[in-house]
Amino acid sequence: MTLPTLDLVVLLPQLIVLTAALLVLVVDGLSGARSWLLAGISLVALLAAGAAAIWLSLQPGEPRRLQAMAVADGFALLFDVVIVVAAVLGVLLAYQSIPRISQQVGSYYALLLLAVVGMMTMGAALDLIVVFLALEILSLALYILAGFNRSEPRSAEASLKYFLLGAFASAFFLYGAALVYGATASLNLEAIAAALAGGSRSPAMLYLGIALLIVGFGFKVALVPFHMWTPDVYPGAPTPVTAFMSAATKAAAFAAFLRLFLTALPTAQPTWSWALAVLAAVTMTLGNVAALRQRELKRMLAYSSIAHAGYAAVGLVAGTAQGAGAVLFYLLAYAFMNVGAFGVVAALERAGEYDVARGRLAGLSERQPALAAAMAIFMFSLTGIPPFAGFFGKLYVFGAAVAAGWGWLVVIGVINSVISAYYYLQVTVEMYFAAPAAEAPAAAAAGKKGRAVAKAAAPSPAPEEGKAAPAPLSRATAAAVLAAALGTVLIGVLPALLTGWIAQAVQGIF
Amino acid sequence: MLDYAWLIFVPPLAALLVNAFFGRRLGKPAAGYLGAVAVGLSFLVALGIFFGLLGLPAEERSHTVTLWSWIHIGNFRPDFALLLDPLSSLMALVVTGVGFLIHVYSVEYMKLDDEHHQLDARRYARYFVFLNFFIVAMLILVLANNLVLLYLGWEGVGLASYLLIGFWFHKPSAADAGKKAFLVNRVGDFGMAVAIMLIFAAVGAQAGSLAFTDLYRVIQQSAPLLAGVASTVTLLLLLAATGKSAQIPLWVWLPDAMEGPTPVSALIHAATMVTAGVYMTVRMSPLFELAGNTLTWVAWVGALTALMAATIALTKTDLKRILAYSTISQLGYMFLGVGVGGYVAAMFHLTTHAFFKALLFLAAGSVMHALHGELDINKMGGLRAKLPTTYRTFLIGAAALAGFPLLSGFFSKDAILVATFEHHAYLLYAIGLVTALLTAVYSFKMVFVPFWGQPRDRKLFDHAHESPALMTLPLWVLAALSVVGGLVNLPFVATLEHWLEKLVALGPVGKPEHPALAVELALLAVSALVALGGIWLAYRAYVQQPDLAVRIRERIKPLHTLAANGYYFDWAYNKLVEGLWAFSRFLAGAVDQQSIDAAVNGLARAFGWLGSRTSRLETGLVSLYALSLFVGLVVVLGYFLATAIIGR
Amino acid sequence: MQLVLFFVLALLAVAGAVGVVLSKNAVYSALALLLNFAVLAVFYIMLNAQFLGVVQVIVYAGAIVVLFLFVIMLIGGQLAPDALTAGSRRPARVVALIAGLVALAGLAYGLVSGALAPQTGQVQGSGSVQAIGRVLFTDYLLPFELASVLLLVAMIGAVVLARKPTKS
Repeated sequence: MTLPTLDLVVLLPQLIVLTAALLVLVVDGLSGARSWLLAGISLVALLAAGAAAIWLSLQPGEPRRLQAMAVADGFALLFDVVIVVAAVLGVLLAYQSIPRISQQVGSYYALLLLAVVGMMTMGAALDLIVVFLALEILSLALYILAGFNRSEPRSAEASLKYFLLGAFASAFFLYGAALVYGATASLNLEAIAAALAGGSRSPAMLYLGIALLIVGFGFKVALVPFHMWTPDVYPGAPTPVTAFMSAATKAAAFAAFLRLFLTALPTAQPTWSWALAVLAAVTMTLGNVAALRQRELKRMLAYSSIAHAGYAAVGLVAGTAQGAGAVLFYLLAYAFMNVGAFGVVAALERAGEYDVARGRLAGLSERQPALAAAMAIFMFSLTGIPPFAGFFGKLYVFGAAVAAGWGWLVVIGVINSVISAYYYLQVTVEMYFAAPAAEAPAAAAAGKKGRAVAKAAAPSPAPEEGKAAPAPLSRATAAAVLAAALGTVLIGVLPALLTGWIAQAVQGIF
Repeated sequence: MLDYAWLIFVPPLAALLVNAFFGRRLGKPAAGYLGAVAVGLSFLVALGIFFGLLGLPAEERSHTVTLWSWIHIGNFRPDFALLLDPLSSLMALVVTGVGFLIHVYSVEYMKLDDEHHQLDARRYARYFVFLNFFIVAMLILVLANNLVLLYLGWEGVGLASYLLIGFWFHKPSAADAGKKAFLVNRVGDFGMAVAIMLIFAAVGAQAGSLAFTDLYRVIQQSAPLLAGVASTVTLLLLLAATGKSAQIPLWVWLPDAMEGPTPVSALIHAATMVTAGVYMTVRMSPLFELAGNTLTWVAWVGALTALMAATIALTKTDLKRILAYSTISQLGYMFLGVGVGGYVAAMFHLTTHAFFKALLFLAAGSVMHALHGELDINKMGGLRAKLPTTYRTFLIGAAALAGFPLLSGFFSKDAILVATFEHHAYLLYAIGLVTALLTAVYSFKMVFVPFWGQPRDRKLFDHAHESPALMTLPLWVLAALSVVGGLVNLPFVATLEHWLEKLVALGPVGKPEHPALAVELALLAVSALVALGGIWLAYRAYVQQPDLAVRIRERIKPLHTLAANGYYFDWAYNKLVEGLWAFSRFLAGAVDQQSIDAAVNGLARAFGWLGSRTSRLETGLVSLYALSLFVGLVVVLGYFLATAIIGR
Repeated sequence: MQLVLFFVLALLAVAGAVGVVLSKNAVYSALALLLNFAVLAVFYIMLNAQFLGVVQVIVYAGAIVVLFLFVIMLIGGQLAPDALTAGSRRPARVVALIAGLVALAGLAYGLVSGALAPQTGQVQGSGSVQAIGRVLFTDYLLPFELASVLLLVAMIGAVVLARKPTKS
């Protein structure tokens, strides 16, 4: 028996992050809760992992493989970058708020890093078992992170719901993998493709397997009707967790989703693309329509994230290299703009608050103009207005779909982004065109001079009765929001920096 | 030298950034001067571009400046590049020139807020940030060398317009108007986005850059490629244009947009942004010609909008609202011109309209300034004694608008009517003439009622005072331009026509011949008579026999009510939105988690199956979620199984 | 012989599964589950998957059911049912039943029509501990290691959840 030679460099980003996770646990045990050190280790490790991913992707020649289990191709590595972006922003956001709700800061960063390991592995996986294990690693870590605020029952509720339904979905995924194995006698994506190249002997079993896999992934990325957990878990989980998971989980799940369906199952594409097209259409529509009615920011963003999963799925439906690249680009843009939006929410949050009502944004442009401007950028980007990242994400995704002949789906998508303009716009209206609620009576009482008085008092708004004012904006949160805003604008102004790179990277999965 | 055209963006961008970060420290009026000077510098660059092009032989006047490669996705590779040709340089001149004058005017005007209190320095600076941002976006729109970049500018000006309409956001009506403008424009933008994608899908392989020059080439060399989608695409583009340029059916946002500061109304909602639809249509005219029928649609949309908006304008008494409907009406003229193939006429009218409409708005602003924000012309009267400068300039603007012979508006409006006549669209020509008559009437209503006669509100009248020089100076410049603007394209000289010649020749259809000299002179005379007749009617109705207007109004009461209510467009849209809203509530009720309870409970009540309402906190809902997951699974499974069985 | 044994055991397994669902007493449910697990273990061994059979006994019958029993004993047998389905939800049940039946019918049809026939192929070697160990430490080394990361996550999670919530 010969032991295999392992090219561990393939997993370099994952190994860096894993090491950091262990280091965080050890340091946490040694020095107590020295929050900045733990966050520092996490940040450095994540940035190093990102750098490693970029370095690996610049290596010439065939992508390196770890047996037949994992590969370090451009596709996986660029998804690593997306995940790193979300994770770095997530760590920055956590720096202020997590110590306020828990003393187990070390465990928090460790779990976040371990979730990152799972996410990165999903993108690199070439084998259904690896996909499943990676999915479980990230899911388990997120179940716990969602319930990290132990003093808040809603956080526990979110965690429990996520766990129960997630376990359900994992079972579906596993069953699907088993059926695909039954139909093709292999778990390796390329071997599956080879087995299917000559036509499957048991198409029904294969298709049932594909259907179950769609359900499993559909749950993770929150496609309707597998989305039900999202509006409960997103508001319930601590905001930094929501911010991180909304972008990173989607990226990881879509990475595996794309690779599995485009590498292993291209022969069944005519069938699954229709199923996914219908799911995407329903998801976009229901997500946006439901978001219209929300008055609380986190819940609104939860529905908006459902809708965005639908937009991204349009790229998968296209099923071309252009489509895959579009999804990758979209998720990178989404990581910046959505984590940024949650970051602003985190900055406004008061201790012990469940969700932030939209009305709380009133007059933000006067109180904290920079924060308001950043939020406006995120909202415009999420709407898909040029020149922000979200516009090119949508353009790229819809363009790919049109090129692949999915015109009707694109029309639904564009109509949906018109609908979505309404609720994203409400946010900017609130920030720029609404007088702060607390100051309104004073202004009315003081008559015409009231406005000037209210403005003078604006920098230090009086705390509303009984509730604590939001903590002053910490540097870490400000840095996260600033970085996200810069990213959103930069991608919008110079998308060509990425698109060429992405187009090259996604070739590997075909 | 043309390669440095990007310099045109630099001054407003720099001023924008400085004002955004240090605006409060600069204070009033330094922030304003900065903004104005920046646009002035841009105007110099625009002049440079113009003379640069002039220096080139006519057939080489199309120069592309690539700044950076913007998007590279397979075939799809629009660059961040500028197209400098006669059309874009004309637009750049109008945007920066009129823009500069309005910036100068704003320096003084915006010192006070809408209730005549001192505006604080931060908001003052923010105003100039937005205004400069508008200039940048508008320049991107007109200088873009491809559709995607044009779309960027298109959305950018929409954003600026939205921010500026809602500038007095403490007034709920202003915030609502901003929202309305933005949302109505999104409907138009939807048409634009889909049109761009369809064009790319059709000719992506030949013209992946979506550059106009490439599209023209494709249209000339391999028209069949686009012929299939041309009708759909152009109708979608028309939808986009009706949104931005406030035509039927998407005109409803523009009258409300008057909630913004008056210089904004002058710059964005009269002189420049709203003409973007006309510009875009002219820019894409070869495609419109390929589509054939769409041009007829364009002409009719324009003509009907012109007529209907003119009748509404007659019924209004709010000075800015009259001007708003007048703008819609004049934009309708431009679309009529485009629709009958008179691209030069349309661009000519666009230019002169920018001069005299900006003038009218600024003069109206000066009246507002004098009367502490009063806009109802029935409360004014006799103002020409108190506001001599404002009166004189307003008179010039109104005369130009009415088409008083030899003023700029006369020539440009006549050019459109001639083009319509040449196109043998006699019904459209008649509509145009009627509209011209109505235009003359309401134009001089705006002169006679507020400025002539006796003061109707003594207190207002006594308080009135002429505006400072910094505000009247732009008025005089614009007035001069309104008088001599016609020189740009005098009949038989046709400077503009030669300047825009190449563009017109691009279409596959080509241009109809000019009519005989006698016919053209006759048409000119008809136009002059109509304008003078309208002015005479206004004089009769508003000066000689003030009760005449009332009597006429009584005589045609139903028509008057119809027009006064804006033909119930707003009402219909409100009903539509209410319906949609109810529908979305219904839809959301079926999906939304919060109402999953409600839906489930509704079911429970209906069938008596379910017990009391479950609160959101209860984990019991998990099983329902799981059920939804499972039902979804069964549906997906069923689909795949069916495919597998049917497929074999 | 094998066929007879299969049907006898299959009946036992189904009886165990039905018992889990129908029993009002949670302890009986757990015991019925134990029966089901044990029969499955026998199936695995019959299919030449000795390792799986043993693991089934150790992990499921040994650890998990015992854990269930502990929990049931701790919180009291009568309380347990329906903690998660709070109240009677007959419409939900009906929908679930219909969906389940549709799924079952689909599967049955697929099996009968042969559309669900598995890819036949001989498994290399047997399901012995040795064979599995060999594969696990060569070809499936990465999944094996990932499983350890998964356990690490579970461990940290357990610690986080077990600590008393601290108000700060």
